Amino acid sequence: MNMQVLLIGGFDIARTLAASLLKRKYQVTAVHPDYDCCKLLADIKGLQVIHGDGSKPYILEEAGARRTDIAIALTDSDADNLVICELCKKRFGVTKTVSVIKNAENTAFFRQMGVDAVVCATNTITGIIEQLAFVHDMTALVPVGDGRVSIAEVAIPEGAPAANRKLWEISLPREVIVGCILRKDQTLIPRGDTRILAGDSLVLLSSAHQETDAIRELTGR
Amino acid sequence: MDFFKTARRKDSGYTVIIGCGRLGASLANAISDKEASVMMVDRDERAFRKLGAAYGGLTLTGDATDIAVLRSAEIERADTVVSVTNDDNTNIMVAQIARNVCHIPNVICRLYDPEREIVYKEFGIDTICPTVLSTREIDRLLGKSKEAKEA
Repeated sequence: MNMQVLLIGGFDIARTLAASLLKRKYQVTAVHPDYDCCKLLADIKGLQVIHGDGSKPYILEEAGARRTDIAIALTDSDADNLVICELCKKRFGVTKTVSVIKNAENTAFFRQMGVDAVVCATNTITGIIEQLAFVHDMTALVPVGDGRVSIAEVAIPEGAPAANRKLWEISLPREVIVGCILRKDQTLIPRGDTRILAGDSLVLLSSAHQETDAIRELTGR
Repeated sequence: MDFFKTARRKDSGYTVIIGCGRLGASLANAISDKEASVMMVDRDERAFRKLGAAYGGLTLTGDATDIAVLRSAEIERADTVVSVTNDDNTNIMVAQIARNVCHIPNVICRLYDPEREIVYKEFGIDTICPTVLSTREIDRLLGKSKEAKEA
C-alpha cells in the first residue's frame, strides 16, 4: 500500500509538492478552499482534489483523512494550520502532521500541541537569502536539526588558502568538520593527512553558524 | 450570569478579551461598568469604536495569535481570557495558548462550528456555540407555544 499524503491549502507549495510526491509514487490528495485553485490543481495527473475549507472536519473526512499517513497544513493562517493538524491527529488518527507557520515564535507552541514537524517558511527563506546574498562560493547550504547544524558545499578556487594543504594544517573552527571531498568524479572521505587541491568541493558539517568562519579559512573570503 | 458575578466579586480580577465585535465589545463594556479591569485586543484599531464612551479598560491593536502580542497585553496576569473573534480557528488557537502556555484558569471561547469540539475538549476550555444556544432557545420557545395551544 502506498503512503497517503494530504496537502491542505497553500497553492504554489501544494502544487510543487504534489507533483514531486506523485513522482515518488505517493497517493496525494489536495484540499483547497478556492475553486479556481482547485481547477488548476486538478490539472496535475493523478492528484485527487477536494474543494473546501480543510479546517472543517467533514471536508477532511471527504479528503480521506482516516486513511492518511502524513498531513501537511500549508494555509497562510497559523491558526488554521494548527486546527487542521489537531483535527488530523486527534479525530482522524493521522500518523504524522506537518505545519508551515508564519510566526517563528509559535514553533514551540505548535510542537507542544502535538504537531510533529513545524516549518517556518519566512525564517527558512530569509536564511537562504542571507546565505546566497552574503556568502560567496557556496553552492548549497542545508539546515538540519532546526537550523542548529548545517551542511554546506564549498568550492576551493585556485589560490585559496586551503589549496595544496593537508587538512590538519588548516585551522578550522572546532565545531566544523570536512565530511567529504568531491574531486572530479571521485568522492573522498578525508583524513588529517589528506591534501586539498584547487578545484575540489568540500562538504562541511558545522554547528552553530560556524560555517562562515570555516569558509573564510578555506577560501580566503 | 455567573461570569459577571465572579468579575465583580474579585476586585483584583483582570480579563483579557480578544475580538472587539458585538459580543466582545458588549462584554468589555459590562466588565468596565463593574469597575473590574479589562483589556481588549483586536487586530483592527477601528473595531474599538464599538466600545462605549464610558469604557474604562485598555485596548491593544495586534494579532492575538502572535504570542508576543498576548504578552504585551499582559495575558500572564489575567485570570480570565475570552476569545470571541469572528474566526473559529483563531479563537481555538488563542484559547490553547492561554490555557497551555500561559496557564490561565478561566478560558472561554466562542465557536460557530460545534464540529471542531475534539480539538479543545481535552484542554478544559469552556466554549459557547451560538448555533447550539439558538437551537436550544428556539426549541424551548416552540415547546412553549405548543403548550399554550394545547391548554
